Amino acid sequence: MVTEPTGSTDSTQPAKSTHASRLGSVDWLSVALVLGGLLLVYYFAPLLSLFLSASPGEILGRLGDATVRSAATTSLLSASITTVLATVFGLPLAYWLARAETPWKNAVLAVVVLPLVLPPTVGGVVLLTVFGPNTLLGGTAAAAGLPLTRSLAGVVLAQTFVASPFVVVTAKAAFESVDRTLEHASRSLGKSRWTTARNVTLPLAGPGILAGVTLAFARAMGEFGATMMVAYYPRTMPVEIWVSFQSLGLAHAYPVAILLVVIAVAALLVLNTVASNPWR
Amino acid sequence: MTLELARLTKAYGEFTFGPVELTVEDEVLAVLGPSGSGKTTLLSLVAGIAEPDSGSILLDRRELVGRPLEDRRVGMVFQEGALFPHMTARENVEYAATSDERVAELAATLELEGVLDRRPATLSGGERQRVALARTLAADPDVLLLDEPLSSLDAPIRKRLRDELHDLFASLDIPVLYVTHDQRTATALGDRLAIVRDGDLEQVGSPSAVLDRPASRFVARFTGTENLFEGQVIERSESGEEVWVQVGDVRFRTAAPEVAGSAASASHVSGAADSGSSVTVCIHPSRVELEPLDASVDGGAKQANAVTGTVGRWLNEGNEYRVDVDVEGGALTLIASVRPPTFERLGVDDGSEIRALVPPESIHLIPGSRVSR
Repeated sequence: MVTEPTGSTDSTQPAKSTHASRLGSVDWLSVALVLGGLLLVYYFAPLLSLFLSASPGEILGRLGDATVRSAATTSLLSASITTVLATVFGLPLAYWLARAETPWKNAVLAVVVLPLVLPPTVGGVVLLTVFGPNTLLGGTAAAAGLPLTRSLAGVVLAQTFVASPFVVVTAKAAFESVDRTLEHASRSLGKSRWTTARNVTLPLAGPGILAGVTLAFARAMGEFGATMMVAYYPRTMPVEIWVSFQSLGLAHAYPVAILLVVIAVAALLVLNTVASNPWR
Repeated sequence: MTLELARLTKAYGEFTFGPVELTVEDEVLAVLGPSGSGKTTLLSLVAGIAEPDSGSILLDRRELVGRPLEDRRVGMVFQEGALFPHMTARENVEYAATSDERVAELAATLELEGVLDRRPATLSGGERQRVALARTLAADPDVLLLDEPLSSLDAPIRKRLRDELHDLFASLDIPVLYVTHDQRTATALGDRLAIVRDGDLEQVGSPSAVLDRPASRFVARFTGTENLFEGQVIERSESGEEVWVQVGDVRFRTAAPEVAGSAASASHVSGAADSGSSVTVCIHPSRVELEPLDASVDGGAKQANAVTGTVGRWLNEGNEYRVDVDVEGGALTLIASVRPPTFERLGVDDGSEIRALVPPESIHLIPGSRVSR
């Protein structure tokens, strides 16, 4: 009785080790490489296909088109304004979130992240309940000659709602990475909070903040759902893609799509150069 | 300048700091205590990094509590230096300095000329602390706080920088609070020591007063008095200056010491010295002398308490030997630290018979034997 368990363990051991070696014979590294490689192909092939589907001449010709130029202007202008607004309003909040020690912090952070997880069209609906032409705010603004829907202001409102959380969340992480002791050191040298922020915190958090700003700009450039709801006109590039595709066919959407891809790649380049932080 | 802390308290969850009463003149107060005892809390409160729950911090009668860091004129050197990583050493010092002359002057004093144009990441630990010190002094603070600035340095550099700090502090005319957990650094740099334990000041006094006359068993143990025995007072002289105590089968004669601040110490001894009262007998290992049994008993030895024992074990601790002398068949172990020449002359080995001499004025008594503190 006593020896039985020992004996049975012994007898299963060779079987176990064969099993293990059979599993070990699978080259997991190759499997992982194939899986990852397929995903990369899935990302890259459609982009390549997009660039091959229209001749350079065709694209350049279409880029001269007045509607495309107007859409590009609207997108660049609105996304720039959005980025400035997101930065000006977002940095103080990001700093507060990084440094505050109140239980409210997580609730506030949840509010900030909400637009990120909300479907953009729902974001548009939500915004229309406040800024729509029949609301108090929207109506008053429209009467004053500054309509908040179907206007550049509307585009900016939609983009800011969706894109500004990128600034807050990324800059928060950047501020958190700056050792508080450095701020204490600066202030104990007689420097005010503002001087400390300008000379110590912002330079050290700078690369991270710039990453957030770039992400917000890229997101604003690509904003479609909320913009469609709030400001169909003036058309931004994503809206123009949709309109071209609907009215004239897919081929007509290619040039603007290519333009957006180029802008996205440029944003990526900025991000990657920014991310190389020499001080860490 | 006078820094006065009055009824200062601060609670962090379970940990309570204070209430602390402390006055620091233009001197170096070495704050000594184990980690987590509240040393850094003390500095944070004075610097303004944390606000106290109650109490006041007066700097020349100016209330610091409630003032932001930048208005306190309290300079602080942080544990790892806290240099701004995106600035060169020079830029770090210039950031705080009021004039270029001051930068040059501090660079000369702290021997920084060679490293001024380097970033903190490329500096050694010692260089970093020098720059941090220069930066703090460049702002001309009214109080200087240092939070274990030497703790992360290698022994040789630590010793060298400690000696330099000693000279530098002597040239400063402001209160200096130097926090450390290292007793040697504390006694080397401090004009006075403050022993911190569980958020309270256990004892404040001159290094010799604290080391030779610890106020509690904790202070005794923390400052290196390893010989702590429970004993009983059996007799005292009329003047109260001589007291006989019994520890097991061994009888020790103790006397008021002839050291600085002896007035307080003498009363401390006599206060504990009613016949029959329990005391803790404290003998610092460095005060125990060893001699061979066949040594002639000279005048000095006649004065001292002499106990015979066997060497239990000995350890070479580098600059001294630690010898355990088992007295009365091991009922009592007296630890002696002996300088290498003496050790070699004695030919100490395990089990060898030896005589330990303890001068009466080197024995300190703490009232109560079972008191935990």
